[in-house]
Amino acid sequence: MTAPASPAEALRRKVDWLPYAVGALTVFVLFAFLLFPIAKTILSSFVKNGQELEIANATLTNFAKFFTSASYQRAFVHSLVVGGVSTLVATLLALPAAFALSRVAMPFRNLLMSLSVIPLVSPPFIGAYSWVTLLGKSGIVTHYLNTWFGIEMPSIYGGFGVIVALSLSFFPYVLLIVQGALAAADPFIEECAFVMGASRWRVLRTITFPLVLPSIAAGAIIVFIKALGNFGVPSILGGEYYVLPTLIYFQVHGYFNLNGASAIALVNVLLTLLAILVLVRVNKRRAYVTVTGGTRRSAQLTGLGARIFANTYCWGLLALGLLPHMIVIYSSFAEQWAGTVFPTAYGLANYVNVLANVRAPFTNSIILACAATAMCIVFGTLAAYTSVRKRFFGKWALDLTIMLPFILPGIVTGVAYLTTFNSGLIVLSGSGAILVLAYFVRRLAYVFRTVSAAVGQVDTKLEEASSICGATWWWTMRKITFPLVSPGIISGAILVFATLISEMSVTILLYSAKWKTISVAIYEYIISDDLMNASAIGSITILATLLLVFLSSRIIGKTMAEMFR
Amino acid sequence: MPSHTLQLRDLTKTFEAEQGAVTAVDSVSFDIVDDEFFTMLGPSGCGKTTTLRMIAGLESVTSGTIAFDGQDFTKFSTFQRNIGMVFQSYALFPHMTVFENTAYGLRIRQMGDDEIKVRVSRILELLGLSALAHRNPPELSGGQQQRVSIARALVYDPGMLLLDEPLANLDAKLRVQMREEIRRIQKELGIMSIYVTHDQEEAMSVSDRVAVFNHGKLIQVGAPHEVYASPNSLFVADFIGRANFFPARTALRNGQGARVALGRGSELEMPLSRPLPADEGALLDAGFDAMIVVRPEHLGLAPAGTPGIPCSVRRILFLGNYTRYMVACADARREVFVDMARRVPGIAEGDQASLIVHHQDAILFSGAGR
Repeated sequence: MTAPASPAEALRRKVDWLPYAVGALTVFVLFAFLLFPIAKTILSSFVKNGQELEIANATLTNFAKFFTSASYQRAFVHSLVVGGVSTLVATLLALPAAFALSRVAMPFRNLLMSLSVIPLVSPPFIGAYSWVTLLGKSGIVTHYLNTWFGIEMPSIYGGFGVIVALSLSFFPYVLLIVQGALAAADPFIEECAFVMGASRWRVLRTITFPLVLPSIAAGAIIVFIKALGNFGVPSILGGEYYVLPTLIYFQVHGYFNLNGASAIALVNVLLTLLAILVLVRVNKRRAYVTVTGGTRRSAQLTGLGARIFANTYCWGLLALGLLPHMIVIYSSFAEQWAGTVFPTAYGLANYVNVLANVRAPFTNSIILACAATAMCIVFGTLAAYTSVRKRFFGKWALDLTIMLPFILPGIVTGVAYLTTFNSGLIVLSGSGAILVLAYFVRRLAYVFRTVSAAVGQVDTKLEEASSICGATWWWTMRKITFPLVSPGIISGAILVFATLISEMSVTILLYSAKWKTISVAIYEYIISDDLMNASAIGSITILATLLLVFLSSRIIGKTMAEMFR
Repeated sequence: MPSHTLQLRDLTKTFEAEQGAVTAVDSVSFDIVDDEFFTMLGPSGCGKTTTLRMIAGLESVTSGTIAFDGQDFTKFSTFQRNIGMVFQSYALFPHMTVFENTAYGLRIRQMGDDEIKVRVSRILELLGLSALAHRNPPELSGGQQQRVSIARALVYDPGMLLLDEPLANLDAKLRVQMREEIRRIQKELGIMSIYVTHDQEEAMSVSDRVAVFNHGKLIQVGAPHEVYASPNSLFVADFIGRANFFPARTALRNGQGARVALGRGSELEMPLSRPLPADEGALLDAGFDAMIVVRPEHLGLAPAGTPGIPCSVRRILFLGNYTRYMVACADARREVFVDMARRVPGIAEGDQASLIVHHQDAILFSGAGR
């Protein structure tokens, strides 16, 4: 072979500074828009409302209210009750379904699992009001229970309604995680127990259940965190039954007491942290090495009884979980519904009205979600790449920082942003930017997770081979890494976008008249008792969200169920 | 052919581990010139791969130097070194065709489309891949993928070719075929090659020179036959080929050689002894000051009663072109292998026999201070 002029010379000799620059930018963004607001929130919770952030002003007054104020104490207890009971109910509902879906021969298993994702992608507050339609004082179910059986239902407003709505919204988390664990469990372990003479029930009790306990705990904790941090449902169904997130909202909107709100937020987060600590402990004591290299799946029960039970239970549970969404869609077609059990006229009037008059919230939500998604793509991808590929000091801190918003309730992020960007160095309150940044921070972890998984799938040797061939860092990123992880980026981005167009809990604190979003529009309609228009917007949102999540799952070639595991 | 030299001097790599610093590569020095096929051989964790990755710039250098044609290589990033590398996992870009994989390095060098076409076609033809140019990597067999990876590494005329256990993922038959092909292409292109493997047979068969590594240190460098015939240490003797070990005591030493005694009192005349490396002194058994190393083909077996070392035959394996006797001998460190061109009449499994050492081919290692 003849040598070229000089192939070595063709390689541009320059310092590869780009990775350091993007790394620095990512760190800056994380500091400025995530860590700094959280730090400021923590600090301001130790200062009285209206006072400067100074050591001299340090006080525990805001926290003392948990010992002196009855409304604080009630909210604290209510939060624990709502979180605990919802978690328990959701877990108990989900476990039989998880077992059935993994161990009983069932048709349409994947369809069932994919449908069970719907309650997770559409925010629970959209469906919350449906429970009033069903179980409220003049609700459909209440009416028939009363006229047929003479049963008086407890009021839907208060703890009962909140717990019903939250358990049925969040049980799929437990279902998906535990089903995954049961389906992946090594069948040989159970067969080994059978061979040794254990009965089916004994195996379930002594082998299967202990092995999936960590997964059950993981699912339950997610439900607990979600229920504890949820604002939308208690704000619609709570009535006088305050929980910590609604108390925060009350403090901010009633008194503009950001310092008090910060203290409540801190307590809310501490409860979450406590729950996570429990999870870590449970999983530590049960650190099983599950070898699941097998190509064989667990034996499926095929008995008629098992199949009848499994199908009835699963479809029944799913119907219950989707009931609010179906009611929302049903109500959206109601044109006259006052004082009667069922609507007296049906039609498309709500949609016509909504599409004609509620344009701005749709545009706003799309603009805000697009901007936040773009930020998530850029920084989530960079952070994920760095975290997976590079070894550096304080890497755990980067991972932790990005995952932090997962455990921060949206309303807490809202408080942090109000506290930080209302005055001082950067003033953003009332702008679209504050929503974009808060959205970005809230959802960064989504892209981070999907991209981390995608980068993990790309052999480092591919990047090494590229630089051996003479490629700079940026060339390798452009030609090798980026194309290979792009499905992960796209699916993460769609997920972010889909869940942002109806974001509620951070929006409710940060929106302004100019930047009203879809969720705020729905909320306002519900508050003013215009259920039919709320439902029309809700239906459009639910369907759009579902379509996007479906698209995302297609792009990365996973089922919708797998995306939420 | 342009003349090239790669010089490693006191190359050292230490990793920070939880238990403290671990020295993965310890003061390794060697030179490679022109189109030499140089192999780094050793058990896993011996530092050979780390050394290769330091040459490639994929691993930072703790101390020491790497110079290529007199230039300090460590000052350049990987992408500036103009080298080719073949990975064990092939590392083909899954989203590019065979053609695009191969053209990758040329596109980085901003070569025109026409020239890329010419060069890629030529290298693909050399590797017998022309028909597969528009396939995607997942559609290829392991052997084909490895060829593509070699084509990709060679197409831009790199200064050297690095091969990191390239055949480890192939089946036995294909391994033999591919290693011959790698050597053929390497010599045809006249490119300096550094090959890493833990398979000593592979190393012996393809290399011009072999460097044997152990615990991060370079133990011995030489042509395959030299390393086999005169290992400089017990480790090399044991690692390269099969060797039998007899602990011995030096009884008498003169200009021609030494007379040594084995454990049971058998005495042997040995040619000149060579000293054991310092760190192998501890390998001598208590009460002995030397070790005799004999290859299986340099041992003989005779019926009991013949002068020799008494032993008992445990197993006889007929292996076609030779017969291997597995023999228990109290004087040897472990089971002795005797490879004979023919079967010895009158010896069956379970029989007592005499072991005969062809001492001109045996090696005597003496401990320090002898």
